[in-house]
Amino acid sequence: MIISLKDINKSYPGAVPLHVLKDVNLSIDKGELVSIMGASGSGKSTLLNILGILDNYDSGEYYLDGVLIKDLSENKAADLRNYMIGFVFQSFNLINYKNALENVALPLFYRGVSRRQRNKLAMEQLERMGMADRATHLPSELSGGQKQRVAIARALITKPSIILADEPTGALDSKTSKEVMQVFRDLNADGMTIVIVTHDPGVGEQTNRIIRIVDGRIV
Amino acid sequence: MFDLASEIMATLRNNKLRTALTGFAVSWGIFLLIVLLSVSRGLVNGMESMFGQRDTETVSIRGGYAQKAYKGLKENRRVQLRDGDIAVLESQNANVLSEVIAQISNDTAKVTSSKDYLTDGYRGVYPSEVRNSGLDMTKGRFINQNDINQRRRVVVVNEESAKTLFGDKDPVGQLVKISDLSFTVVGTYKQEWRRDVYIPYSTARAMSGGSDKVNNITVKLSGVKTLEESENAEKGFRSTLGRQHTFAEDDNGSLWIWNRFSDYLTTSTAMGAIGMAVWIIGLLTMLSGIVGVSNIMFVSVRERTHEIGVRRAIGAKPRSILRQIILESVAITTLFGYVGIVLGMLVSEGIGMLVAAGGERSPLKDPTVDIAIAIQVTVVLIIAGAFAGLFPAMKSLKIKPVEALRDE
Repeated sequence: MIISLKDINKSYPGAVPLHVLKDVNLSIDKGELVSIMGASGSGKSTLLNILGILDNYDSGEYYLDGVLIKDLSENKAADLRNYMIGFVFQSFNLINYKNALENVALPLFYRGVSRRQRNKLAMEQLERMGMADRATHLPSELSGGQKQRVAIARALITKPSIILADEPTGALDSKTSKEVMQVFRDLNADGMTIVIVTHDPGVGEQTNRIIRIVDGRIV
Repeated sequence: MFDLASEIMATLRNNKLRTALTGFAVSWGIFLLIVLLSVSRGLVNGMESMFGQRDTETVSIRGGYAQKAYKGLKENRRVQLRDGDIAVLESQNANVLSEVIAQISNDTAKVTSSKDYLTDGYRGVYPSEVRNSGLDMTKGRFINQNDINQRRRVVVVNEESAKTLFGDKDPVGQLVKISDLSFTVVGTYKQEWRRDVYIPYSTARAMSGGSDKVNNITVKLSGVKTLEESENAEKGFRSTLGRQHTFAEDDNGSLWIWNRFSDYLTTSTAMGAIGMAVWIIGLLTMLSGIVGVSNIMFVSVRERTHEIGVRRAIGAKPRSILRQIILESVAITTLFGYVGIVLGMLVSEGIGMLVAAGGERSPLKDPTVDIAIAIQVTVVLIIAGAFAGLFPAMKSLKIKPVEALRDE
């Protein structure tokens, strides 16, 4: 089991505290291709934040690849994100003044890998995504599908335990969406664990398991 | 390093006009600081060259009028310094002085050559008078110790006086008559406001017809460092002479004392204060530039909230974000500051040339900025840049990695 959530609760404080996640239990095995589906406000974004070590939870236990993720310092959390999780975002989140190669290499920069080594590894990942000929292009010179491929290359470069994708096709047309989903399926075929958060049933259908979340509970 | 440079270029590109205006403020502040520093350096150089010709560690004493009744004596008595005072001053204040010299003056004697005559009188002096009075010898030599020992009849005159006496002839070796005695001219000096005729002290003493009156006594201080010690030494001289001449030691009118060392210290302190004021003015001017840099960094952090969130999500630690913002701020400040330094140095060089062309009367001398000041200013720039970046950087720390998931 690569992801194990036990009785996770999370609420946002306020005049009327919002109980977003209610006793969530969830297990994902190594090599799975899973989608988490739910309507807007169902708590799926909060769940993604917790899975991605971007946010804390109130009670319960979250094990990622055997490591208990709880009450971490900012530095420790940053390290775990860097080493264990590859993020793919809806709006790609490439840095617009860095070219494709530099964007892919960026996570290794925060690991202190030398520039030469970073660029070599980044080029390998771009080749894997079929984007080697676009290495020196800025994000503004790439199409949506190309940007997402660069973003996936960036997620892969750290050899993470899981890939977390937040609406990865949300900003793409249907043809490109299919291509990007094919990329995920291919990666999964190579043994990569992938969790995709989406509200698009078409995306959900292409995964091996769909986890539905309604009003903060897994159904 | 390369990554940092490209980030900075991006920041600058994103806000071209604002960067230019902010950069101008920083450059202007540094420019003013450099120019002000160079001018104040010029003032200090000017002062030092003025004092440099003279002995600053001297105290000159003349007789005055005792203002207070003392030990049965009435007020308003003339105090006349005499030969005997020299030895007494020297023995009773040995810890603060290295030498005591005196001057005898005769204001009525005529100095006559075959061509013309002067009515300036003469002064019997010791060799060190040349430094006390700040004389600039132009020909020959000044009175020396052998002249004193052997009571030679030699004389030193102003070069303008020499022209009056001898015309265009070389004055050195010429003969003049003073009080019907024949003297040989051994040197001339250049001084704008002094026309004094100098002869050896011992010679003048012999010419004074048995009188032991002394015009003034000059003490060369030794081992005196502070203004307080200098004032205490002065008090010591006053009380020694007070016992000799029977006047109260707190009677300030009894002696005219010119304490050059106190003057020097006071002037030095004033120069130090000017230097300090220049730094304060310069730094305050720079402050407005620094606030501008801080402002631009705030904007930069705000505009890059999402980007910083993405960086955090893919593994950037808070301190690497902090370092990046501060280094960017330092780079911007230093870059524009450097422009200001270069312009400021050019202008100070220009001022230097104008001063050099203006001749000796200018109060400024060599108003240039040396490498030490350039280094000081650079350090100030780096610190200021870091300071300007500090608050925006702290703000950037509040950005959570969750920002990455928010849509722009």
